[in-house]
Amino acid sequence: MTSPFEVLGVPVLFALDEGELEKRHRDLSKALHPDRYAGRPSSERREALSRAITVNEAFRQLRDPISRAEALLAQLGQGVSETNQPKPPPALLMQVMEQREALSLARRAGDRAKVESIAAHASGRADEAAERMADAFSEDPIPVEQVLQLLGELRYLRRLKEEAGAALDEL
Amino acid sequence: MLLDIFDPKAAPRAIVIDLGTTNSIVAYVRDGSPAALVTCDGAALLPSVVHYADNGATLVGRAAKAQLTRDPARTIASVKRFMGRDAKDPETKRLGAQKFATPRSDEEARSVRFDVGRSVPITPVEVSAEILKSLKQSAVDQLRGVGGAVITVPAYFDDAQRQATKDAGRLAGLEVLRLLNEPTAAALAYGLEQKQNGVFAVYDLGGGTFDITILRLEDGVFQVKASGGDSALGGDDMDRAIAEGLLEQMGAVDPRPPEVVALALSAARELKHALTDATEASIELPAKGGASIQAKLTRPQLDALIQPLLERTGKACRRALRDAGIEAKALDGVILVGGSTKVPRVQSYVAELFGRAPRCELDPELVVAYGAALQADLLTRDDSEVLLLDVLPLSLGIETMGGGVDKILPRNTTIPTGARATFTTYADNQTGFELHVVQGERELAADCRSLARFSLRGIPPMPAGMARLEVELSVDENSLLKVSARETTTGISQEIAVQPSYGLTDDDVERMLIEALDFGEEDLERRRLVETRVEGERLVLATNKGLATDADLLDAAERAAVEQALAALKGAIASATSASPVQAAIDGLDQATHDWAGRRMNRAVAQAIAGKNVVDIEKSVENATGVDVHVARHRGETA
Repeated sequence: MTSPFEVLGVPVLFALDEGELEKRHRDLSKALHPDRYAGRPSSERREALSRAITVNEAFRQLRDPISRAEALLAQLGQGVSETNQPKPPPALLMQVMEQREALSLARRAGDRAKVESIAAHASGRADEAAERMADAFSEDPIPVEQVLQLLGELRYLRRLKEEAGAALDEL
Repeated sequence: MLLDIFDPKAAPRAIVIDLGTTNSIVAYVRDGSPAALVTCDGAALLPSVVHYADNGATLVGRAAKAQLTRDPARTIASVKRFMGRDAKDPETKRLGAQKFATPRSDEEARSVRFDVGRSVPITPVEVSAEILKSLKQSAVDQLRGVGGAVITVPAYFDDAQRQATKDAGRLAGLEVLRLLNEPTAAALAYGLEQKQNGVFAVYDLGGGTFDITILRLEDGVFQVKASGGDSALGGDDMDRAIAEGLLEQMGAVDPRPPEVVALALSAARELKHALTDATEASIELPAKGGASIQAKLTRPQLDALIQPLLERTGKACRRALRDAGIEAKALDGVILVGGSTKVPRVQSYVAELFGRAPRCELDPELVVAYGAALQADLLTRDDSEVLLLDVLPLSLGIETMGGGVDKILPRNTTIPTGARATFTTYADNQTGFELHVVQGERELAADCRSLARFSLRGIPPMPAGMARLEVELSVDENSLLKVSARETTTGISQEIAVQPSYGLTDDDVERMLIEALDFGEEDLERRRLVETRVEGERLVLATNKGLATDADLLDAAERAAVEQALAALKGAIASATSASPVQAAIDGLDQATHDWAGRRMNRAVAQAIAGKNVVDIEKSVENATGVDVHVARHRGETA
């Protein structure tokens, strides 16, 4: 399997510039999107479709800090698996649990502002964890344990953010 | 009047059809600018109403609309609201004058069916096909030939609704080149005119559907960031809210005769339209006991009636903004699309919601068709710098044990896209898998839209968890889903019959096509020949273009093979009396150009990223060490 970094032709780094990544995705889409092959033979259209799918999948993977970290770990031969699981720090688990309780209270009370503040808080914490992730990936050697911990942290925060989003949908 | 000079050798033109809930439009590009064709009603807008007359005739447009209050059971309006919906859909319970047929089997229950007094009930796909046929005929009359069609759909249409639209196109004898999202088409019409980069919101409230799309325009690429909406929310619901009040005033009690409901709905529409300019409107209506009443509606009353509907759009807008990760104040503009945005309260609501006055310079009823016409034109060009990148509107997932959903592709994923997921057996010696593909955001599979069920059988007995089923979902540029699956442990790769949960099967459509032809409309073989010829001509054109730019990627023998296959295809197009020799020549050329096509694609990719060193993408992190180095070291250590 070709790595998403190879597919997009970008360096194997966590600290990718989002604007540049998007530009690369746009350029490749212009070359491969099925609309560019509208009048071509069907086998060519199928080929373009499958290449465009690969490019979009790679873009989706690298744009998101969680799957980007997972892709980097896979490159290091440390892919996330049943035996190599992200372990968020216990203190964070406690905090997320508290936030969740607050969220379900706010949800029942119809307190939109509170739900929004929980979502914003989770967002801020996730951004901060992503920054620490970037730092960890720039160390030599890469502290795999720490990366896995941060990955766990990001996943929990993501879920909290999603739950807050779902609550906002209902309010 | 300026007439196009007819060139018999010119390839037939692609048309676009905006198949709307209330009105439909057929358009094309003439000399680089979009133009709407005159429909059978003599105007650009064709009312999307079909009447099934006593004498077996089918009327479309204004003539059909005139029958809405006279013969409501045989007259179908707003059929778009029923596309891809089953017989139990909530839409069938809402205020309306149609007569639904009771399904006689589970198979029949997969689609809504209208009882219009014919021997067989009619499906929404067939009703839509009548509208499409009428528009196609207008195009054929005026353009002399139609080379395929782009049909627009609400961005929030799910797979079943899209598939139903495509089936309607097929049934109408159209080659559906593309299903294009309406808000994206509208953005294209605006964007190309303004040539302005930025992030925009398109608020599209039509007769029956609502879409909100947040998209970014940069480098000629219209990239959708998020889309949301409700495919059962529009002007029809405003009419219903008004009509409920009118029915009360008329003293109509349940069961209300369909004629009375149709009259109230039609009066409601009239009042709503009058209140676009006036602040007060009234209409005379019959009441109980032969009396008549003067029903009055003021602008503030209308505003209050539609407020709950507007709040539903507001919710979808806020979610889309959140999904796109952008705040309303950071937008560069808000565009209004759809006939219902003519209602003054809708405009002021959007202004409040986004904190700015929305733009509506282009006619909100025509802008989708115009944008789509531009896109259809772009499809025929190789050198275009403009590209539309759309997203999957609703998450796709697979039902898990216990009725949950494993979301395989989340909403707002850029399309085309695909994903694989692996499932395993949960019981010892399990020899089959049942899989259920669903679409939607809800946590329980039962609350999502069921798209397809399929099963894989014949797996050799193994302990639980040993057999692995790899399921691949792929979504094309039209947001249409394909599912394939194989068992990987034993290498059994089985073709899986996907049973669609909604709508018509391929066989249904094929049968309807043949039945339609029995009425003597067109000869099937002749139609196939015409279609295959058009495809062949397109291929000749594309291959010639390819030879002009990329002949250097062929060696002498390959080049000779391509030239030979090309000549064979030209010969077949000129002399064939049936589709099969043309199809054989197309396949021959396809084969001869296969490897070359791959090389051309590689070249296109290389050109796309040429001159852009990968280092450009590296964020300037001081002393950053790439993982590359570590990977190299890691390999070195283990070597």
